[in-house]
Amino acid sequence: MSREEPPFGIKGLVLRGGPLGGGGVSGGMYVGDWKIFSPKIDYERCTKCWLCVTYCPEAALSKGERGPELDPRFCKGCGICGNECPVEAIEMVRE
Amino acid sequence: MPGNKAVAYGVKLSRVEGISLFPITPQTTIVEYLADFIANGELEAEYIHAEGEHTAMGVAIGLSLAGVRTFTATNSQGLAYMHECVAQAPAYRTPLLMAIANRTLGWFWSIQPDYSDVMPELNLGWVIQFVESNQECLDTVIQLYKIAEDKRVMLPAMLCLDGFYLSYSNERVEIPDQGEVDDFLPPYEPEHSVDPTLRDFGPAAGLPPPLHTTYRRIYEEILHDAKAVIKEVDEEFGRRFGRSYGGLIEEYRCDDVDTLLVTMGSMTTAARRAIDRLQGEGRRIGLVKVKTLRPFPIEEFRALAERVDAIGVVDRMMLHGTGGGGLFADLKSALYSLEERPLLVDFIAGMGGDDISTMDFVEMGERVLKTAERGRVEREVEYVEHPYQPTARIIPLKEKRVIYPGSGGCTGCGASIIIRHVLDVLGPNTVIVDPPNCAGVNYASVVGVPWILANYAATAGYQTGFYRAYKLKGKADKVHVVSFAGDGGTVDIGLQALSGAAERGESIIWICYDNEAYMNTGIQRSGSTPLFARTTTTPAGKVWRGKGERPKNVPLIMAAHGIPYVATASIAFIPDLRRKVKRAAEITSAGKGLAYIHIQAPCPTGWYYPPEKTVEVARLAVLTGAWPLIEIEEGRVKINVKPKKLRPIKEYLRLQGRFRHLTDEQIEEIQRWVNESWESWLKLEEMGKLPWYK
Repeated sequence: MSREEPPFGIKGLVLRGGPLGGGGVSGGMYVGDWKIFSPKIDYERCTKCWLCVTYCPEAALSKGERGPELDPRFCKGCGICGNECPVEAIEMVRE
Repeated sequence: MPGNKAVAYGVKLSRVEGISLFPITPQTTIVEYLADFIANGELEAEYIHAEGEHTAMGVAIGLSLAGVRTFTATNSQGLAYMHECVAQAPAYRTPLLMAIANRTLGWFWSIQPDYSDVMPELNLGWVIQFVESNQECLDTVIQLYKIAEDKRVMLPAMLCLDGFYLSYSNERVEIPDQGEVDDFLPPYEPEHSVDPTLRDFGPAAGLPPPLHTTYRRIYEEILHDAKAVIKEVDEEFGRRFGRSYGGLIEEYRCDDVDTLLVTMGSMTTAARRAIDRLQGEGRRIGLVKVKTLRPFPIEEFRALAERVDAIGVVDRMMLHGTGGGGLFADLKSALYSLEERPLLVDFIAGMGGDDISTMDFVEMGERVLKTAERGRVEREVEYVEHPYQPTARIIPLKEKRVIYPGSGGCTGCGASIIIRHVLDVLGPNTVIVDPPNCAGVNYASVVGVPWILANYAATAGYQTGFYRAYKLKGKADKVHVVSFAGDGGTVDIGLQALSGAAERGESIIWICYDNEAYMNTGIQRSGSTPLFARTTTTPAGKVWRGKGERPKNVPLIMAAHGIPYVATASIAFIPDLRRKVKRAAEITSAGKGLAYIHIQAPCPTGWYYPPEKTVEVARLAVLTGAWPLIEIEEGRVKINVKPKKLRPIKEYLRLQGRFRHLTDEQIEEIQRWVNESWESWLKLEEMGKLPWYK
């Protein structure tokens, strides 16, 4: 590796998305393969209170037309959404 | 057992009486094993949880000066932070032992080993030994106490074991018989302990200039003479226990060789295999392991040098600006006065934990042999480099965000919920200044704003610098300078700089996400750990029943500075949390001073509850009064969530494994503490305004 080549060099010193320093990334971290249980959303029951979206530690849930939309790539399967849902519209099912 | 456990057994067998500590990876399990010994009545010793390494070494010096056998352990950033006290220890003639589970010193951070951490400490007058195996860890602890406490030495000693390679790797270790260790290492009986009941003097700290040179000479003579003691102790240990490590250096297959490789620490094992292979091919190369780096084995190396034509040094220690490594520089200066010197080459290898394989050593050996054949040095310093394979798993997203989905955090992480809401409220004009913690490891790589790693105790200092620079540029009202510190970085090691920034009136935001222990290093007690909670340094055993002390009330300590805004918050009350972060931003943007928000961050990993319960646990903390939601704006105290009747604390405790060991009496005492704290807040709220606010 030469001193001009990234990740070295003055440009390389400004680490983007590094393990301890960061900023300037433009995407999410794939953690979808961590989970054992996955949220299954019952859109009939959902009242769109968005508590699940509020509490999701990974921002894997977002507000959608019919209710919360899950991006499984970012879900670790913690189950907080299911535990907090006031109308029990989210069930954690084994993958 | 792992190397750290072997060190802990060595400490136990040496009947150490005083242990001071502050956790840092990869040292921490040493002091955790020791906590287990004490908690279960297997070792009787004072065990002091310092709030930072600087203090830990201060405690160790105090213990040793007052005449007890003392142990501490650290590495890397922690060792650098205690540097000032490390320099004081030899002058005070304190024969304490410090284990260093080597880890690179930032520069760029890594938790993996090289010797850059111990490098600044080499020349302060300590006896410093390196070990190759876990058995050697245990044996060297016992040997070093005998060496350090010898009347001819009376100096502190460091035991360096490679982080991860030894500290966390399992090997077979024989534990010697306690009676035999007692015979070898009698109890420590200092002649000059500081004890006003026995004598009326203590050690001098200052010296008039003419005596400085003289004292330096005397210390150097003592260190030189310590070499004889080191050899003596190793030989006696060998006679009694059947294991010996050469004392200063160990020669491996050095008969009839023309060249040598010189190594230190755990890399030596791979080097031995390389030497076996090269000698098997008829090549004339041997191996020397440096066991004692200070005092440097000058005479031994001079004697060796006369027997060979070329020496290759393998250095896990770089002296920047000198063109080579530390061991290389030592060896070079030791051999310079010889009339006939062998050729010397240096290999810089294994920095930041990069593995040095047997094949690497074979190649290095071949280069040394080639140097000897040529009769001249082609390249004095070579770097053993390996290709790098990136492992990041970032999925590009179209829209720009302040924080992106996914993270390396534990499943169900409470801090994760906090950081997402904090950044969402503050927006893109935010600089996160972060002392080392889980958040730095897990979220720095998914944020769309600058995330600056700050040295632990200086976090509020970094923030002050940023804030003042933006002030100069006329941007202080547009940029939020925010810390995202854990409880260690806030209530313990970071408190001094935070207090300074508060008193100076820096308009910065301090967010403390409090998971009530040092979670990033593996669940050690902090100044914020609740009463009787079990952590790895306050285990529940036969003698100990979790943490014995109540936590610090840091929100009130911050309010004592008279700062404009102090609040606590909870992830179970997100609108309240977001409102507080917004208020903090308004106050600091107006340049009114420091805003402090203390947020409870339930941690499934460290509190031992299922991850889906994170918000539930947080909610119960508020409803039982364990985590009161308060706000102090310009001195006016307000309790934001005031249940008509607090729920019994038992409801909160029973969800969490860290409280599983509690007796009914302990639960009652926690309930008493919670009630007292709740009533105190009620009284403060009644006062209308804290009296010290204008």
